[in-house]
Amino acid sequence: MATPCGQPHHERVTTATIILALVVVVALAFDFTNGFHDTGNAMAASIATGALSPKGAVTLAAILNLVGGLLSVEVALTVSNAVVNIQDSKGLPKPELMANGGTMLLLIVFGGLIGGIIWNLATWLLGLPSSSSHALLGGLVGGTIGALGFAGVKWAGDGTKLDGVIGKVLLPSLLSPVIAMIIAAVATRVIFMVTARIEDKFREKRFRWGQVGAASMVSLAHGTNDAQKTMGVITLALVAGGSISSTAVYVPFWVKLSAASAIALGTYLGGWRIIHTMGKGLVDISSPQGLAADGSSATVILASSQLGFALSTTHVATGSIMGSGIGRKGATVRWSVAGRMVAAWAITFPAAAVVGAIMYWIAAGLGGLVGPLVVFAILCGFSWYMWKRSRHNVIDHSNVTDDWHDGTKPEVAVAAHDIIDPHHELDEAQPARPTAH
Amino acid sequence: MNMIPLALEGAWKVLAAGLVLGAGLPIIYAFAVRGLAMAQGAGAIIGEKTAKPFGKVIWWGLLLVILLAVSYGIAFIVATGVGKAVTFDHIIPWFVDKPKK
Repeated sequence: MATPCGQPHHERVTTATIILALVVVVALAFDFTNGFHDTGNAMAASIATGALSPKGAVTLAAILNLVGGLLSVEVALTVSNAVVNIQDSKGLPKPELMANGGTMLLLIVFGGLIGGIIWNLATWLLGLPSSSSHALLGGLVGGTIGALGFAGVKWAGDGTKLDGVIGKVLLPSLLSPVIAMIIAAVATRVIFMVTARIEDKFREKRFRWGQVGAASMVSLAHGTNDAQKTMGVITLALVAGGSISSTAVYVPFWVKLSAASAIALGTYLGGWRIIHTMGKGLVDISSPQGLAADGSSATVILASSQLGFALSTTHVATGSIMGSGIGRKGATVRWSVAGRMVAAWAITFPAAAVVGAIMYWIAAGLGGLVGPLVVFAILCGFSWYMWKRSRHNVIDHSNVTDDWHDGTKPEVAVAAHDIIDPHHELDEAQPARPTAH
Repeated sequence: MNMIPLALEGAWKVLAAGLVLGAGLPIIYAFAVRGLAMAQGAGAIIGEKTAKPFGKVIWWGLLLVILLAVSYGIAFIVATGVGKAVTFDHIIPWFVDKPKK
């Protein structure tokens, strides 16, 4: 690894400071992608059933995420501890990573965040709801492997509690969607039994009210959970860069405010592509199913954080929506879409890790300030490319509730559908389709 | 690999809490909606001609139950955010300082 050891002291300080600034910017960028990637978790069902207008839904979700983020007074400083050994139990960086103004630690976090962002953008482009937490943790694992090798990764903890990659990532991601699915399926089944004699129109309308309430709870819980992760990462970077004393770690107010704002802005932008898949792709959802799904998501997320069971909001929300389809007799559940989604979940963690490791190697290999700047440029170029690709088949608030593409409907997200659900019949004329996959 | 039993134990608790609250509250809401439909009668319940005003009582009563549960949920989110935890030691849930690790 190239180190600026030979440089005079002030130059070394400047380099570390600029890298620190880059890390903070990238952390907020990750938080922003986290926001729009997860809008659908809370709002896909409400948008799909028409309980809320698309714009109204993202506005409500954004406000609640901001409130939720700002409520995080006591922030978990040990976010990375679940999967890697770069912090101690108080949230302080490991001393051996603090050489050269903490550059090594900063680059691990930097590479990890970029791995997370790139994976979030790629899955957004494909309209796949994948876990932002897994993308972040995967990225951090990749950065750590790049710097310290496989020994730096906490695979299973000490076995006395749920810890490490297996306990905090793998097992919960296998169990939590199933739990959410069971709860939503039971709720849906019973709701339809209880309301069997009620006219469809009456039922649909009244259940929308309940649905909005449940969706709001999911949004609020999301804001408290996810904005915290970024706050923890930024604080870790600030300690590594020497901006915060390493004896009394605290989260500065500007970190809280900027992280809460970034996630809220991202949420407001609305990950329409993902909302479309969740709301229209899995099941055709009615408002009683929407209430069952959102009620299940809200309680599973809250119960888990109370019981210390780490899970991904995305997995829970998707499981709930699937469950609401399974619970209703005669409802169509598009298992092929679900299957592709699960495939995306399975590769999220390793994919983000691979990108994180590569980014670390580039940044550390080129060394100095050049390395991080090159990596930052790669991130910008990649993001721009993703955005450009997304313009080929725009999904926004105006067409997000269009029916899932079945060969007769207007072209919405043909490319995304094509990848996550290739067995659909496609229209012959598809002028909006991108040329390359 | 003794983490699988640990995970299953956590999962089981989440499932139980989820079934009671996550499925329970929407189901109570379904009963509430049925009450509201009774109150309206024609146009709300299939084949029903007469309105039963008593349904309104069911609607508001059950809605109150749900709102109480939901405000507890919000209190829980807020409490966790400011570093409190919920204890069930005294049967009625109450907020205490989060145990330090």
